[in-house]
Amino acid sequence: MKAVFITFDQAHYESILHILDRNGMRGFTYWENVQGRGSKTGEPHYGSHAWPSTNSSIMTIVEDDKAPKLLQLLRNLDKSKEALGLRAFVMNVEDTI
Amino acid sequence: MSLYATAVKKPITTALCFVAIVVIGLFSLTRLSIDLYPQIETNTIMVLTAYPGASAADIETNVTKIMENTLNTVSDLKHITSQSKENMSIVTLEFEYGTDIDVATNDVRDKLDQVKNTLPDNAENPVLFKFGTDDIPIVILSVTADESMNALYKILDDKVSNPLKRISGVGAVSISGIPQREIKVYCNPQKLEAYGLSIETISNIIAMENLNTPGGNIDMGSNTYSLRVQGEFTETEQLYDIVVGAKDGKVIYLRDVARIEDGPQERAQEAYVTGTSGSGDFYVGKSGGAIFIQKQSGANSVKISQAVLDKIPEIQKTLPSDVKIGIITNTSTSIENTIQSLVETIYVTFIIVMFVVLIFLGRWRATFIIILTIPISLIASFAYLLVSGNTLNIISLSSLSIAIGMVVDDAIVVLENVTNHIDRGSDPKQAAIHGTNEVAISVIASTLTMLAVFLPLTMVPGMAGILFRQLGWIVSIIMIISTIGALTLTPMLCSQFLRQDPKKGKVWQLIFVPIEKGLDSLDVFYERCLKWVVSHRTITIIAAFLIFAGSIQLARVIPTEFFPTNDNGRIGMKVELPVGTRSEIARDLAKRIESEFAEKYPEIKASSFTVGAADADNVWASIQENGSHIISWNMNLTSVGERERGLTEIVDLMNKDLAKYPEIKKYQVLAGGSHGGVGGQAAVDVEIYGYDLQKTDEFAQDITKKLLALDGIVSVTNSRGDYIPEYQVDFDREKLALNGLNIATASQYLRNRINGSVTSYYREDGDEYDIKVRYAPENRETIEDIENILIYNNQGKGVRIRDLGTVVERMTPPTIERKNRERMITLSAILGQKAVLGEMAGQIQQVLKDADIPNGITTSIGGTFEDQQDTFRDLITLGIMIILLVFIVLAAQFESMTDPFIIMFSLPFAFTGVFIGLAITNTPLGVMAMIGVIMLAGIVVKNGIVLIDYTILNRERGLSVRKAVINAGRSRLRPVLMTTLTTVLGMIPMAVGRGEGSEMWRSMGMTVAWGLAFSTLITLIIVPTVYCVFAKNGIKRRRKKLAKQLAVASN
Repeated sequence: MKAVFITFDQAHYESILHILDRNGMRGFTYWENVQGRGSKTGEPHYGSHAWPSTNSSIMTIVEDDKAPKLLQLLRNLDKSKEALGLRAFVMNVEDTI
Repeated sequence: MSLYATAVKKPITTALCFVAIVVIGLFSLTRLSIDLYPQIETNTIMVLTAYPGASAADIETNVTKIMENTLNTVSDLKHITSQSKENMSIVTLEFEYGTDIDVATNDVRDKLDQVKNTLPDNAENPVLFKFGTDDIPIVILSVTADESMNALYKILDDKVSNPLKRISGVGAVSISGIPQREIKVYCNPQKLEAYGLSIETISNIIAMENLNTPGGNIDMGSNTYSLRVQGEFTETEQLYDIVVGAKDGKVIYLRDVARIEDGPQERAQEAYVTGTSGSGDFYVGKSGGAIFIQKQSGANSVKISQAVLDKIPEIQKTLPSDVKIGIITNTSTSIENTIQSLVETIYVTFIIVMFVVLIFLGRWRATFIIILTIPISLIASFAYLLVSGNTLNIISLSSLSIAIGMVVDDAIVVLENVTNHIDRGSDPKQAAIHGTNEVAISVIASTLTMLAVFLPLTMVPGMAGILFRQLGWIVSIIMIISTIGALTLTPMLCSQFLRQDPKKGKVWQLIFVPIEKGLDSLDVFYERCLKWVVSHRTITIIAAFLIFAGSIQLARVIPTEFFPTNDNGRIGMKVELPVGTRSEIARDLAKRIESEFAEKYPEIKASSFTVGAADADNVWASIQENGSHIISWNMNLTSVGERERGLTEIVDLMNKDLAKYPEIKKYQVLAGGSHGGVGGQAAVDVEIYGYDLQKTDEFAQDITKKLLALDGIVSVTNSRGDYIPEYQVDFDREKLALNGLNIATASQYLRNRINGSVTSYYREDGDEYDIKVRYAPENRETIEDIENILIYNNQGKGVRIRDLGTVVERMTPPTIERKNRERMITLSAILGQKAVLGEMAGQIQQVLKDADIPNGITTSIGGTFEDQQDTFRDLITLGIMIILLVFIVLAAQFESMTDPFIIMFSLPFAFTGVFIGLAITNTPLGVMAMIGVIMLAGIVVKNGIVLIDYTILNRERGLSVRKAVINAGRSRLRPVLMTTLTTVLGMIPMAVGRGEGSEMWRSMGMTVAWGLAFSTLITLIIVPTVYCVFAKNGIKRRRKKLAKQLAVASN
């Protein structure tokens, strides 16, 4: 089981949801308004006057074999609209109930 | 969920909501009536009371005073002024502004009912008169006749006036210049004397003979019959056969002592008409009359005029063949043309705005989305007009024209941001929501600034307030609707229509690539400019200050006016001959002038003039100045497009022509037909109160001399006018008493002989005509005739007036004016071109102070000075309030006190632009231009908001002051230019309009276009510079503070 933490410009929300649905990944947790900025190029997303855009985050727990495919799809999505910004991080899940 | 998210997610609901707004607006449009001006509610009521034959002084004591004393108790009364002139008392009640005039009218009517019985017997019932814009006649018809002239009044009354009154919406129809019929019994005093008869006996006998008496009922057989004596005359000839007495056993008939004339009244106003007859012949100065048609309050002028004109051919058929009806003035054509040219202006503005948006955006779909907000917001305002009972008029339509350029601003800001998001790769739906979310606050803030300008306009009192109110409401409503549209409809349409990477065709490449290049190089040029000025701040600020100071100097050369003269093709002209000139002489002169003008000015389509004193029954005529020496004209020219000479040019030429007639004492040619407002020269009024006519006159003359001695006063007019010569009979009371007479009897005898005695009426076809018994005209032409009048006492002994008193010639004032129940003279000091009103008023006050004011006389200062002071105070208060409100809105948006201050630096340069514009185009500064100036306050700061907002944003993003300013300037140049250009170019059709009525709004368009264009250019330079100064000072202060703290810490 892998945990995939995706943080992205709000505009990506529907596309990501679409990817999850298409690949049979049902469960996820969604934070609508989160703020942050990228380590290298990512513009700040503060929802403020100077930086009005905001991010959202999705955490989804998927089977080990599905994680690389999801990551690849997300990478494609990010490449298509680089100005918006999308990052995903994969972690191990130790245990679950 | 936010408003815009809902709108984007429910496109059908959103679209249909706006369709509903449009449907309601269009429905309202079909119900709206068309008029030239907004309805101006009057706050004055006039009470007219006719007392035929009485002089000004008689009227004052017997009618005016009584009326004033009673009417003074009506509540909410501000001023009560009166004019007492020959035959007529006019009491004007001025109410506090905002009083319900209908309630006041009822109060006045109640008071009049109380007072009626105390008025003299011969005085006619008082008539109430409210005079607002609704009371200006909408159609003036001319009537000409040959053989029917004697019966014309009755013909017109029955066959023209009555059918016209039945048209719904027509208020009053008054016939002017046509004398009413009267049966005149002209007695010969010598014959009366020989037979021992008097006017009184004859008049009584006629009354006794001219009677129908019911005699009760009688039963005859099985029936009951009523018994009647039908003594009334059925023909005027029957009067000749009345037996008026007997002498030496012989019967004396009326025909032995008098002749009877059946015809028009002796002293009446006559009218002459020039125009084209139905068969196309042009005739000059044909005798006839005029019919004035007024509409009911709130009715649709255009519709009613049309209905009246449609009815005329039908009426013409019922009239005798020599009676012809023509049209002198038809306001509806001028209203229709004016409104039409304004509507055209709106279309042109719409197209211009569309092109500006298209050029800047380069996208058809985006342009469509933005342009769509224009009709929606404009149409929605029609609903407001209908609900508030307003009309489509110059003010409401020019408000729409003003608003066109501004309504797109919000939509542009939203669309621009949404497009940015899409360009960055967002899905159009997401982009619409987020893009709108980001700019919503600044869109609302800029709308709030506009509301801060326009809503206070709705609170201005007075005449200007009526104009401002409609403008304020309409623009406010349009702005609110457009903001709502920009936050809902625009994002919705963006989400539906905008595409990522739209395909760009060859045509697009051909047209928009060069434009794009041009705009890019403009950006680069501006950036360079900015870099320079930011490094040379002191020079820039000094230069800007010099430009402003220089433009203030220009203000001196700009002419001022109240309202522009509207070329509606109407001319009103009044010619005064020396007081007391007989109306025959006036008529001859009028005919000469008429034929000269008809030859010289082929532009005159129709005209009519009236001479002579108006009959007391004719309210419309008696309210105007009239008298045997006054000739007044109404002229109608062909419409603007059909003639080469303008209205003012013709008026100037006419003025020159009239100056050539030596017999004319005073003349006045008014463009536009009547006083549109207090145009022209400024005046300071000195009001002199005092009862004693002689004392006040002497004092007034003294003051006049002193005023004329002052530098800057051109002339002084005295409201009391020239005294008119009058003959007075001074009876000797002792002699009267010796002969068993008193003043009352003696003066009654005199009145009956000269003015005539009416004790009976001749009835024909259901109408009554006076039977007036008096001396024949040839027997009352000299002073001897008056002196020879025989007065009979109770013993039947006749005594001549010359034995009872003397006939003397005296001068009396033609009108006695009163204000607040005191006699008053107004001296109007007309100022010369260079005189400054406020300064002159001070000097005049000094003159009054130094003058030796006799006992019982008080003075005060009023006139244009007072008006202007009031208006100026109002406008300055308004200006301060607007600036304060705008400041509050800005301070709240930026949460700062300095930023709004910086933004407001663009304001003075709006004035610079206005002054330069008005001076270059030689446009006078009037009320309409003032409206433009006030509007500028709101429009101008918008550019500042955009610039400063983005600069602050850049600072927050961590850029240095200099970089932030330059970067913001470069990236905001296009939105600023675009919104400015839509507004400025939107004003140009108004500013250069040449259609009918365009004079009205030309100065407003000119003001906004120049003011905004100039201030934008300066704003783009000065606001970043001033921002730099403030920001750098702020940084220096903070550094110093920090250094201090460090120093303290290290110690």
